[in-house]
Amino acid sequence: MATKQKHSAKFLSFIVYFVVLFLLWYILSGYLKPLLLFFGLISVLFVSWMSYRARAIDSDTFPLKLLLRLPFYWLWLTKEIVKSGLSTTKIIWSNNYSPELIKIKASQKNSTGIANYANAITLTPGTVTIEVEKNDLLVHALSKELSKDLQSGEMDRFITGLDK
Amino acid sequence: MDNFVNILSMISLVLGSFFIFSGSLGLLKLPDLFGRIHAAGLIDTLGSGFIVLSLILYSGFSLVSFKLLLIPLFLLFTSPVSGHAIALFAYESGLKPKTKVNKK
Repeated sequence: MATKQKHSAKFLSFIVYFVVLFLLWYILSGYLKPLLLFFGLISVLFVSWMSYRARAIDSDTFPLKLLLRLPFYWLWLTKEIVKSGLSTTKIIWSNNYSPELIKIKASQKNSTGIANYANAITLTPGTVTIEVEKNDLLVHALSKELSKDLQSGEMDRFITGLDK
Repeated sequence: MDNFVNILSMISLVLGSFFIFSGSLGLLKLPDLFGRIHAAGLIDTLGSGFIVLSLILYSGFSLVSFKLLLIPLFLLFTSPVSGHAIALFAYESGLKPKTKVNKK
């Protein structure tokens, strides 16, 4: 039963992977002629088959649950980027440079989650993840305000919530 | 209506340019490497983001806007990696940030 379930989950990942690849092909090419669509279909099928053969499609590299929540995550990330970007700009224009080095804990369970969290920290201007050691992140923050924002753990909770 | 979208696109272009300028200023002005990474991050995110937004508004809703959306999507994955790589290498090779270490 369990193996059957695993098998069907794998199949579902394969289908979703195929659809995403085909969408990418269409966006980049923009062709709607049947012949060219057919060629695109063949090349996408070939690439998905190769990825499947290379065992590149599994729940760790291609988490299905995450995929559905990704648009919300990007919207939220945009909000965070604008917020911290404004305070970084303020620091650059005023001569108020007092950086901090802080250690924070990541509460994510798997490596994808931690990588995601560290990436989100680095992506928001004003904070950079320097080192990752299991669940400890060493973060360089541009100001006290920004490091406090991070220590409040809002971001941590949000990204852990993505993976539930 | 068309005019309104054009004005929005212009505003966003100016905002993007402003953030790129601020980032470049920070790159020159901030005293150490770790601060400069933040300035570069500002260019990568808000600068490129607003410029792409303005281009999307200007080109109208079509396939091109999706292509343009792919640019920030790829930056979303690549820019933190490069920032982290620079920071980690600087830290590992002994460059300490100009700050007190605040462990918590």
